[in-house]
Amino acid sequence: MFSRLSYTFREMWASLRRNFTLTAAAIITAAVSLFILGLTLLVLRGFDNQLSQWSGGVELIVYVENDATPEQLQVVRDALESNPAVIDVDRLEYLDVDASLAEARRLFAGDPETLQLLTAENIPTQFKVVPRPDASAELLTEIASSYKERLPKVISVAFPSKQIDVLSTLRGVVQFVLYLITLILLFSAVLLIWNTIRTAMFARRREIEVMKLVGATNWFIRVPFMLEGLIQGLVGAVFASGGVLTANWYWTSTVQSFPPDSGFGAFVVTGNYPQWVVFWLIVLVMLVGAIGSGTAASKFLDV
Amino acid sequence: MIKLENVTKSYSTEVTALQDASFDVAKAEFVFLVGPSGSGKSTLLRLMNRQEKPEKGEVWVAGRNINDMPDAKVPHLRRNIGNIFQDYKLLANKTVFENVAFALEVIGRPKHVIRQQVPAVLDLVGLSGKQERFPHQLSGGEQQRVSIARAFVNRPLILLADEPTGNLDPTTGEGIMRLLDRINKTGTTVVMATHDQRIVNMMRKRVIQLDRGIIVRDQARGVYE
Repeated sequence: MFSRLSYTFREMWASLRRNFTLTAAAIITAAVSLFILGLTLLVLRGFDNQLSQWSGGVELIVYVENDATPEQLQVVRDALESNPAVIDVDRLEYLDVDASLAEARRLFAGDPETLQLLTAENIPTQFKVVPRPDASAELLTEIASSYKERLPKVISVAFPSKQIDVLSTLRGVVQFVLYLITLILLFSAVLLIWNTIRTAMFARRREIEVMKLVGATNWFIRVPFMLEGLIQGLVGAVFASGGVLTANWYWTSTVQSFPPDSGFGAFVVTGNYPQWVVFWLIVLVMLVGAIGSGTAASKFLDV
Repeated sequence: MIKLENVTKSYSTEVTALQDASFDVAKAEFVFLVGPSGSGKSTLLRLMNRQEKPEKGEVWVAGRNINDMPDAKVPHLRRNIGNIFQDYKLLANKTVFENVAFALEVIGRPKHVIRQQVPAVLDLVGLSGKQERFPHQLSGGEQQRVSIARAFVNRPLILLADEPTGNLDPTTGEGIMRLLDRINKTGTTVVMATHDQRIVNMMRKRVIQLDRGIIVRDQARGVYE
């Protein structure tokens, strides 16, 4: 067992050194494509944060003062439910203090000053309203504008349908372009890893022929090459991960220096998400590297 | 040890490398395959270690029909068959010791076994003092001895030799044949394809003669003709 392991690592290392320039090219391409993929995931997460309060078809939010009594809240609810032709009553949702605070932490992640001002004592609670698909925008605007005057404890009514549309469209464009670039670069990285392995195997075809004839199994021959592809992917992923985490840190600290009302606060990605992205980038590229090189190796095993 | 039953192998619709070939090779037998280039000698050897599969007929090695053998089992079959080539197929970047050890290493033999078996087989082939040399530092005959050592280090049941003396001068070729004869006497079956008339006539072993893929003669203690 030990002699097999030692053989596998020795051969892998020798092959990596022999094909240094191709290996470097494969690693750089893998790193760049993964870096862009990582950034894409973070940017899309930023958009999702920005749009999260409007997810699930919500187009109208009624903010209610924190100290509203259950009776006052019921009055607001009754008013909203009295328009079943315009508002989808079944999907009407009330976010209490805790839920509103959780959402605020997401929305103002890049705006610590504002976040600091929001406490359980002063944060408004909110009714999230999903209009019926056939409800006209004019009617909704009319209803929305009437709420503030006639309902108790209502602070404001947000109805930014156009901004949501713009953000959603922008998210779609960014997603398409960045995924396309990532896909092309990732494909190039796979081709380069594939080519590196094929070159390495071609250089060693005599050795492989001898190995086959003395009874080495295909897996015994293939594993060092798969490991080589896996290592190329892993090194690329480590560089890409470093880049993604650094870029995220730089963006976060930049946004935090913006004025509180810049509107970029939600575009910051916090929590474990960046680490989660990095973890999956590493897993993905190691798999791609190992499987790609394993397949590339198969061509030379038909002796 | 080896049995062919009505074996036919062709590489295209026009080229039939072997046609309806049948013969048995007993354990510890020494057999020459003779015939002009393209007569099917190498094809026969390739069929015996499952580098090729026949269109028709059956090839049995060590009691197993190797045509039906799953691909995953082929490496285990090959561990019982040593191969010797005209061009030696040595690895230029490895020393004599490493070339021979390689055959054991790739089938997962532990280091202590390698350290024990490689010097023993190098001693058998008369290269005990040249373990650290590289192939380019050896003569053709010595390189072929390394190739034989590599083929025999795992003590296979069968040795398949494809023109092993083809690149050697007559005297060196005779030395190689004496070595193969010694190995044969240890109980290893040897099947050797050759053009070398002088060697076949000198050894007086069984001769199977091929002509355009057909066995035209199978003679005990035969000569080249």
